[in-house]
Amino acid sequence: MLSRLALRSVQEARPFLVAVRPTSTTAVNKATERDEVNFPRRARPVEPGKVRMGFLPEEWFQFFYSKTGVTGPYMFGVGLTTFLCSKEIYVMEHEFYTGLSIFVMAVYAIKKLGPGIANYLDKEIEDIEGSWVKYRQESVEGLKQAVEDEKKAQWEAEGQKILFDAKRENVALQLEAAYRERLATVHSEVKKRLDYQLETANVKTRIEQKHMVNWIVNNVKASITPAQEAAALKQCFADLKGLAPQSA
Amino acid sequence: MMTNLFSVFDPTSSVLMLPLNWMSTFLGMMFLPMLYWAMPSRWSLLWTLITSTLHKEFKTLLGSSHFGTTLMFVSLFSLIVFNNFLGLLPYVFTSTSHLAMTLALALPLWVAFMMFGWINHTQHMFAHLVPQGTPGALMPFMVLIETISNVIRPGTLAVRLAANMIAGHLLLTLLGSTGPSLSATLISMLIIGQILLLILEAAVAVIQSYVFAVLSTLYASEVT
Repeated sequence: MLSRLALRSVQEARPFLVAVRPTSTTAVNKATERDEVNFPRRARPVEPGKVRMGFLPEEWFQFFYSKTGVTGPYMFGVGLTTFLCSKEIYVMEHEFYTGLSIFVMAVYAIKKLGPGIANYLDKEIEDIEGSWVKYRQESVEGLKQAVEDEKKAQWEAEGQKILFDAKRENVALQLEAAYRERLATVHSEVKKRLDYQLETANVKTRIEQKHMVNWIVNNVKASITPAQEAAALKQCFADLKGLAPQSA
Repeated sequence: MMTNLFSVFDPTSSVLMLPLNWMSTFLGMMFLPMLYWAMPSRWSLLWTLITSTLHKEFKTLLGSSHFGTTLMFVSLFSLIVFNNFLGLLPYVFTSTSHLAMTLALALPLWVAFMMFGWINHTQHMFAHLVPQGTPGALMPFMVLIETISNVIRPGTLAVRLAANMIAGHLLLTLLGSTGPSLSATLISMLIIGQILLLILEAAVAVIQSYVFAVLSTLYASEVT
């Protein structure tokens, strides 16, 4: 465990050491983006570290593999414990037997209850992670939906322009209609007045004519002398006689 | 080497004969989950579940107080449970088996509660000395009895914890010390006996720490 910690701390100390060294000799302080290729971000480990026999890290076995092969670390362990016990450097007294009982208990408990508890906890962690991921996804979905709605609103607003044109046309039509109506009114009014003038002129002419005719007739009538009247009458009689049928 | 049966409780270490064994009190800090990621790991989630359950329990006991009142009691519980539980492991010193440690936990709490209660809510404290529904004639005796029970509270808290720890450890040490002189079959029986005792001891470790924390919560709630 501590070897893993040491490895990790070395890996992370390196970028800090590099970052502390100034990259430029001038006094400019640039905030550059992090180089993710050479100094990758630390990933969250989902599985616990691999161990053998419950507590010995796998890295120790890999470390010794090239020198001592597969059985090397086991031989080392067995040899060390035998040495310590036989030389009475480690004395097997009452604590040892307590430790033995604890070891038996712990192995039994881990084998029996371990997977159950691990699955339950993993499920809880998945729920929590799921809720975070779900929140993020739902936010993205919501924002995408908002973008869609915005686009639709913009398209609807475009449609408004057509409405504006239609309304403008409508108004123009109405104006045109009103103009024509007024034109017609003006026309009729002017015609009325002209008609009136015409009528009055006509009436005047007629009356003048009539008056003139009457005057002429009256004057003629007045100017007819009795000799003329008798001559006219005589002529009329002669004409009538001529026209009368040639009866016997 | 065991000079006597109780030398397992000796805080003197072999390094310069200094009482360095008391450092095992801080061993529990090694087991607290360290959180770097926003997502909990298995152990940190388990710990969070335990502490949040405790927090809910203590909140009900304390009544709706200010935010953070249960913090002290939950951390008290975790200190005692780690010390009790790790003390069961071989070669780990059980600091809670000493009256020095348990009194150091119980006395300041109790003295603080008493001082706060008597100075600030004097009438309330006087009222608590007579339980509800006592017949009138018994009241003087009840006051006496309640005062005595109040006064011995730190003693009971401390001694309960220490005595439970000592008893368990003593039994285990007694059984274990016969180990070196036993034959193989008897050793297997010894192991079985010790396993049973250890199960009991583990339960007692957790229960006693819970009891300590709950009782101090109750005493606190009585005062407010």
